[in-house]
Amino acid sequence: MEAKLLSEHYSDDSYIGLEGYKSKGGYAELKTAFKMKPEEIIEVVKQSGLRGRGGAGFPTGVKWGFLPKNGEPRYLLCNADEGEPGTFKDRVMMERAPHQLIEGMIISGFAVGSHKAYIYVRGEYMDSVRILEKAIQEAYAAGYLGKNILGSGFDFDLDVYRGAGAYICGEETGMISSLEGKKGQPKLKPPFPAIQGYLKKPTIVNNVETLAAVKYIIRDGAEGYRKYGTEKSAGTKLFSVSGDVNKPGVYEVPLGYSLMDLINNECGGMREGRKLKAVIPGGSSAPVLTAEETGRATMDYECLAEMGSMLGSGAVIIIDETRCMVDMLKVILHFYHHESCGQCTPCREGTGWLEKIVRSIVDGNGRLQDIDLLNRVAENMKGRTICALSDAAALPTMSFIQKFREEFEFFIREGRSQVKG
Amino acid sequence: MPKCTVNGIEVEVKDGATVIEAFMKTNESIAHYCWHPGLSVAGVCRMCMVEIEGNPRLQIACNTPVQDGMVVYNNSEKVKEAVEWTLKFHLINHPLDCPICDQAGECGLQEYYMSHGSYDSEMAERKVKKHKVVDLGEKVVLDTERCILCSRCVRFTDEVTKTNELGIFNRGDRSEIGTFENRPLNNKYSLNTVDICPVGALTSKDFRFRQRVWFLKSFETICQGCSAGCNVQAYYNENGFYRVKPVPNEEVNGHWMCDEGRDVYKFANKEHRLVSGIKKEDSGLSHMAPGAAAVQLREDLSDTKKAALVLTGQYTTEEYLKFVDSFTKNYGNEVYHWINNPKTFDDFDGILLRGDKNPNTVGLLRVLEGKGIKSSWADLEEKLNSGQIEHLVVAGPENLAVFPDLEEKVTLFGQAQKLTVLTPVKSKFYESADYQIPMKSFMEKDGTFVNHKGIEQKLGRGPIVVSQALTLLDLSMILDGSDFISVNSASMGGSL
Repeated sequence: MEAKLLSEHYSDDSYIGLEGYKSKGGYAELKTAFKMKPEEIIEVVKQSGLRGRGGAGFPTGVKWGFLPKNGEPRYLLCNADEGEPGTFKDRVMMERAPHQLIEGMIISGFAVGSHKAYIYVRGEYMDSVRILEKAIQEAYAAGYLGKNILGSGFDFDLDVYRGAGAYICGEETGMISSLEGKKGQPKLKPPFPAIQGYLKKPTIVNNVETLAAVKYIIRDGAEGYRKYGTEKSAGTKLFSVSGDVNKPGVYEVPLGYSLMDLINNECGGMREGRKLKAVIPGGSSAPVLTAEETGRATMDYECLAEMGSMLGSGAVIIIDETRCMVDMLKVILHFYHHESCGQCTPCREGTGWLEKIVRSIVDGNGRLQDIDLLNRVAENMKGRTICALSDAAALPTMSFIQKFREEFEFFIREGRSQVKG
Repeated sequence: MPKCTVNGIEVEVKDGATVIEAFMKTNESIAHYCWHPGLSVAGVCRMCMVEIEGNPRLQIACNTPVQDGMVVYNNSEKVKEAVEWTLKFHLINHPLDCPICDQAGECGLQEYYMSHGSYDSEMAERKVKKHKVVDLGEKVVLDTERCILCSRCVRFTDEVTKTNELGIFNRGDRSEIGTFENRPLNNKYSLNTVDICPVGALTSKDFRFRQRVWFLKSFETICQGCSAGCNVQAYYNENGFYRVKPVPNEEVNGHWMCDEGRDVYKFANKEHRLVSGIKKEDSGLSHMAPGAAAVQLREDLSDTKKAALVLTGQYTTEEYLKFVDSFTKNYGNEVYHWINNPKTFDDFDGILLRGDKNPNTVGLLRVLEGKGIKSSWADLEEKLNSGQIEHLVVAGPENLAVFPDLEEKVTLFGQAQKLTVLTPVKSKFYESADYQIPMKSFMEKDGTFVNHKGIEQKLGRGPIVVSQALTLLDLSMILDGSDFISVNSASMGGSL
């Protein structure tokens, strides 16, 4: 049961351009928003239950409410540095519906009182940048951006900033550092960005999907938006499904949707009819689910949290019986080791250490105590650093070992993979 | 002013103070590498973990503001284990080359290893290889494998000198401190980076490999290098002085000192010192004990009608008081102040360095004023040029490096019929003087320097290098008629 709210027109090429977008109701909600008071918009967004779609799932309206209530200049930043392995929904959104994001940003900017916004796009997304830049030019020419938009008296400027390919710049304060021209390293909190962010001014950072969803909350109202999803996970969500299914891709479904249904209905079932072994439900940093857990899982913040995993960015990685979990963990850890910014000692040293241990196992040099060591290293990296990258390496490590321990033990004992032989 | 409880001890702190600052107000120890009271908070070493009542997650003390009524502790098992693990992370890729590391004995890694460490490394894999012996500039060398990336040195060049030479290059466990191309670390405060480096990553080219720190003793004193009056710790052993480091003093030098000041120990060492009194005779130079030379000087001066005294701002206030008194009482009011670099005398670089390269100009001026002595250098020059000065006594500088006019001035002084130079250090320019009398250096005597702000600071007397050298106090006694008693401070303190 797909629920096409944001993605209704994604298959329509004309929706990329301004005219096509307008013909499908584009920029109508901007006009509605301008008739509202900014604080009313913030209230509606709070009521809608919209939660950040970038990974952390923090309530958007609450985040906006942290801004100081004064006339101090503030920035709105769109986090389009989509780097979590397995995630590719923001790319689809930017390339199929750039104006949807722009409209969502103008409304959000109006709500939070920001007159200057940036979209920080992942460096590898050349097409996204090109398409967004063209759409921004169209929006300026049509008077949706710039001074006194649609006679509302509201000024709003929007620019695209291209990252240079570092995963860490997707962390909101790392992104702010990068945007400031510094090395992309997360900043200490407090102060939080809403108080002191980009250029030391109050700053709101929201994900592409979050900002785009604001348009539909204005259109349907808080109650209308809440028709989708669950009590604590309102609305729809775009999931990037990859791995061993017949039809990997981006699917929009209401939150609370059954994970098995997503696999079997939207994604056409397991590839070549193989048996499901595991699912990483929220990007590679999310703890893995076993097949049994997958059968019980619904795609919402609370169910996955209860299962000890997380919804994250909605990147669902489907793993079948032919995959070696030791090998997979090695790939995941290689990524986090490569991407650690190196500021905080536990992450800088721990990510490398974890990768080295798993690599030793894969190379046939594992020691039985390594399994326990991996756990202890991960345990002591978790929650001990400025940002969540350390946890992103620790959580999969701990969950892989907890749930697939016998594969690790086999590899160490026999010097070869239990699955691949 | 919020109050909090640190390991059961109640502390009151300033508004906005952090938990680590609360710890610093007690005697409770808290491990830390990246935090430094003179720099911004980086929060990266993760050593200063604390448990805060009501918060399930450990927090870093350096970035947690104290809230009134907060109950904090770092002596729980949970914190101890966390700190031990953080130290493990610091050490897994560390080369453990203590036997050849200059920092050994005063290294933060060694210290915490003893207090928090575990005793066997669990890392079976190869360590990360990085650059060794990286030449950062004229004075500092870097070993990136020993570096724990605390970023203190980077923040120092960003925030204190604002010269931004250092950066962290690359990322993750490949991160390395380094300089940008063609921009070496050559600012005037570069050696502070060595002081604040908690490990053996940054070492001083001047000090490295010269002495094991556990063979050094130290005492606190005041830097002699300029009128800033930085508080310093001087390190020495039986072979001489080896280095000076800053001692924090908020009112004077904060946490820092300049690189020039680090060289002041050198002229206090024996190889630069004048060790015996020298009298010029028809037959050549005659060497004698300093006291004996002073007695001969007194006899010589007793026939003099027109004597004059030149003082530099390099002696203590106590010496000026007594010596000016003796001199004027015995030989008249001709006392002059030698300003070594008049053009740059009032310069200030905005951090610490003062253009007045004398530690006690203010002290000297106060004494002269107190005694009602007004004199102009032009007068002295005129009197010297017209042959009106019979015997000129000059209390010369210790730090010859900051007296660029030395040769020129000694030539000028040579126009007096007789010239006496009182000096701690040797100089070839003094060879024409009738008397050279060795003086003690600032490292060897008690007394007061008054800095540019008028703050009076006591010197801490260190070991004696030249045992018979005099102070101006000793010389005053001799000029006043006492025959010099050769017992001196050598028997009281440690002698080199």
